[in-house]
Amino acid sequence: MKSLKNKSKALRILLYAVLFLMTAIMIVPFLWMLSSSIKVDKEVFDIVNFQWIPDTPKWSNYIEIWTKIPFARFVGNTVYLTIVVTLLQLFTSSFAAYSFAKLDFKYKNILFFAYIATIAMPWQVYMVPQFIMMRSFGLNNKLMAMIFLQAFSVFGVFMMRQFYLSIPDSLCEAARIDGMTEYGIWWKVMIPLSKPSLATLTIFTFVNTWNDYLGPLIYLQSNEKKTIQLGLKMFIGQYSSEYGLIMAGSVLSLIPVLAVFMCLQKYFVAGVASSGIKG
Amino acid sequence: MKRKIISILLAASMVASLGLTGCGNSSSTKTSDTTQSTDKTDTTKDTTAATDGDKVTINWAIWDKDSSTYWTKLKEGFEEENPNITVELTDLGATDYNTVLATQLSGSGSTFDVVSIKDTACYSTLIEKNALEPLNDYITTEGIDLSQYNGITDQIKANDVLYELPFRNDTWVVYYNKDLFDAAGIDYPTNDMTFAEYDKLARSLSSNEFGKQVYGAHYHTWRSTIQLFGALDGTDILGGNYDFLKPYYETVLSEQADGVCQDYATLSTASLHYSNAFSQGNVAMLNIGSWFISTLITKLNAGEYDSSLCGNWGIVQYPHPEGVEAGTTIGTVTGIAVTSASEKKDAAWKFVQFASSEEGAKIVAETGSMPAIVTSEISAILASVPGFPLDQNSKEALTPTKVYMDIPYSKHSAEIDAVLSTYHKDIMNGDISVDDGIAKMNEDVQKVLAQ
Amino acid sequence: MENATKCIDVEKEKMISRKKRERKKNVVAYSFITPNFIGFAVFTLVPILFAFLLAFMEWDGSNQPTWAGTSNFQSVFSDSLFWKSIEHTIIYCIGTVPITMLLSLLLAIVLNQKVKGRAFFRTISFFPYVGSLVAITAVWTMIFNPTKGPVNAILYYVFHVANDNLPNWFAGKLVMVSYIMFSVWKYMGYYMVIYLAGLQNVNTELYEAASLDGANIFQKFRYVTLPQLRPTTFFVVVMLTINCFKIYDIAIMLAGGGDNKLGSSATVLVYYIYQNAFQFWKLGKSSAAALALFALVLIVTMIQFKGEERFAND
Repeated sequence: MKSLKNKSKALRILLYAVLFLMTAIMIVPFLWMLSSSIKVDKEVFDIVNFQWIPDTPKWSNYIEIWTKIPFARFVGNTVYLTIVVTLLQLFTSSFAAYSFAKLDFKYKNILFFAYIATIAMPWQVYMVPQFIMMRSFGLNNKLMAMIFLQAFSVFGVFMMRQFYLSIPDSLCEAARIDGMTEYGIWWKVMIPLSKPSLATLTIFTFVNTWNDYLGPLIYLQSNEKKTIQLGLKMFIGQYSSEYGLIMAGSVLSLIPVLAVFMCLQKYFVAGVASSGIKG
Repeated sequence: MKRKIISILLAASMVASLGLTGCGNSSSTKTSDTTQSTDKTDTTKDTTAATDGDKVTINWAIWDKDSSTYWTKLKEGFEEENPNITVELTDLGATDYNTVLATQLSGSGSTFDVVSIKDTACYSTLIEKNALEPLNDYITTEGIDLSQYNGITDQIKANDVLYELPFRNDTWVVYYNKDLFDAAGIDYPTNDMTFAEYDKLARSLSSNEFGKQVYGAHYHTWRSTIQLFGALDGTDILGGNYDFLKPYYETVLSEQADGVCQDYATLSTASLHYSNAFSQGNVAMLNIGSWFISTLITKLNAGEYDSSLCGNWGIVQYPHPEGVEAGTTIGTVTGIAVTSASEKKDAAWKFVQFASSEEGAKIVAETGSMPAIVTSEISAILASVPGFPLDQNSKEALTPTKVYMDIPYSKHSAEIDAVLSTYHKDIMNGDISVDDGIAKMNEDVQKVLAQ
Repeated sequence: MENATKCIDVEKEKMISRKKRERKKNVVAYSFITPNFIGFAVFTLVPILFAFLLAFMEWDGSNQPTWAGTSNFQSVFSDSLFWKSIEHTIIYCIGTVPITMLLSLLLAIVLNQKVKGRAFFRTISFFPYVGSLVAITAVWTMIFNPTKGPVNAILYYVFHVANDNLPNWFAGKLVMVSYIMFSVWKYMGYYMVIYLAGLQNVNTELYEAASLDGANIFQKFRYVTLPQLRPTTFFVVVMLTINCFKIYDIAIMLAGGGDNKLGSSATVLVYYIYQNAFQFWKLGKSSAAALALFALVLIVTMIQFKGEERFAND
């Protein structure tokens, strides 16, 4: 009995060791980013006399970024896009995924395969035909174009389907015997059970839309329509040497996404307390 | 059943999208993008109406609006003369300018009436795509004297047709840091320097003392900084045989091995911009285009660069191979063009004409950038820009005797450029030998030419 | 349906009513898919099918496309850069997929335990995925800078590697290693999140049973957790593979050297596709190369599908 306890103690230590090592590797570049964001240019690239916090931190970088480019406008556009896309994505993906995971219908496999197959096509290949089509719909230089492009992603359907697959069919059967319609089952059984996966999808969609660069680059040209990533990139183009400012912008653009993640990560907890391997 | 419907739907939409790309002139497919043309009724009106008092807005594609002031100044100068025409600037950013512009000009419609053209590769792409309006007729009608461009227009003619007019023309020169020459007690470079002399000079200036390194030369990571030395004797860079590059690669690689210039892999990894390299005050000579003058002046005046490090600088003419006349250099043209999809071509042409005229050249010169037309008056404007190098050598350096295009116009410009860049990186990174790299260039470019 | 006519009447009636039910079932099922499918079909599927056709055409994006037969494929397959890029992409995938999968699973399991500061650790491991690629690659290229970077400084001062032997991380053969290291680091947190969500669906009652049978922690993992994570793992592997084959941004930012161009030793398939599409405007050739990529991914995904089915039937 005692040896077992020792063993589990050793395991715990190992666990924390792994955790700390990984965390260190993950976070160093970000500390560097933070540190660079309050430096002047020369200090950023000075490896010989490297300091995490410079003698005279240049906090003004965080103020300047709002004035040098219409940062507030970019943030507004991005927030709008991100929220609309995420909501649409959550609804259409989980809706379609239910069908793919729990219902039987004709051509299900073919259709599903068509979905997955399209993920394999790099966007660069069909970007031009897609752009010409979108423009013919009058969507060039419209935020709407980005919404249409991102709201119906295949990725979401695929992911939700995989999660629904791991929910036992017996639950649906029981609900059917109780006389629930399929729509009822989706809403009352599947959605509550798939909170962790919905949280995941929310995070991913949020991050994707937030960080997308190539899409806005092609579709949004006027300054009133630009997104945060576009703004950052353009900023880099024009002030290529002002690394401090670039890093300050990157840090700022990171905050909302991390906030969303922190809020949603609590859903990654199983209903039953003893999940995973017991230590 | 369902499948059939789906496939029919798909087929229909395919046909529709194919049709969109096919019928180039059908106006029904030109759904105009309202956000940018402020007055929608204009688009349907006859463009000649523009001259009789109706307001017209034209949309001009540019890059880096905030860091290069001449865009806005050209717009303002033009609007003052043509109160009926408003010019809107759309900044597509420098990094992806060519990609975004060419995508925007794909299919049959376009948001842009006037586009700036960054390089020859982009120029030839757009010509191949039929996206640019041929300007010959306009030029004849207006009686524009092409000789004022000093031969540049001959080099950008595509089968005798001009699709752009030059508004900036940069030549390649050598920038040098006078303080470093003074410190080493070595005479400044001259306007007549062979490549071998240049190499010798660079070697004599460099110092490997730790913490106080001085680099005699600096080569930016572009292929052009090395390959163009070889093009100064008139060798065709699109010719398909690159054996002539061998001595230049060998020289630079040996400079690199001896610490005369910074290591390519390091520069490439750090994506170090040549301006940052020069501004650190440890680069004695830098070969790059004359566009760097205005950057250098602006940043020094703004205090962004430490003038104690790089404030004392000058320019001289490009080093030339033995047997080539001194003053021979490479030119890079920035053009301006009317799109073939524009519905306001007359207004657009007016603007193009203005930007490429002597008047436009003056505006460009006032910002310290090199315009395509250089007269004595314009030289004087340039010289009066605060911070412009005024010594005799520098002045002369900007009046080359012979200029070759960095990459001449050809259908294959873009592809050959890409091949040369690919193996340039391999050679400079030390991944393959000079001989192997050149062999690959020969092989791949000949494949392109054979198409 | 041919057999139906041969059957006797009773069977026929049964068939009809079954067909009716079937149809109703189909309608309901399709109604679930429709909202997503419409958007997907219009904005993604149609352009993709168009791109498929393009592989057999010559098109510069503006002029009328012309039929080209298989000439695009011939020109792609005779291009040495194409084969180089395929080779690099495959090496990259072989390196990245298993490492990322294992590490993200490990991380998810660890972060599914009741450890102190779990939310903090989870957020940290998600950092690399969230960070903007531009900023992060700037940091990485600095850390691995061949002459000034701290990594090579350590090799030089601590391990006494000769100056001339210091590795050049973003050129030659090493560039692949750098790609792999970077993407494992960047995407580990991403797949960890997927695993974490998957772990929440693991039925824990089975653990009690396994404990009673005297299973140790690794056996429990092997026989209880892993089988239940199968759909998640399948998803992770498929997505990882596909995303790996599509590597582009990472390569450009790490080895692009400021002008976003890659040497032949650092090139990857999507870069080849991108160049043909947006620098040469040979959309046909670019589509042909993309079809090659597509076929490659398809084969690998099929194998994974088959593997998944076999496992499921175990």
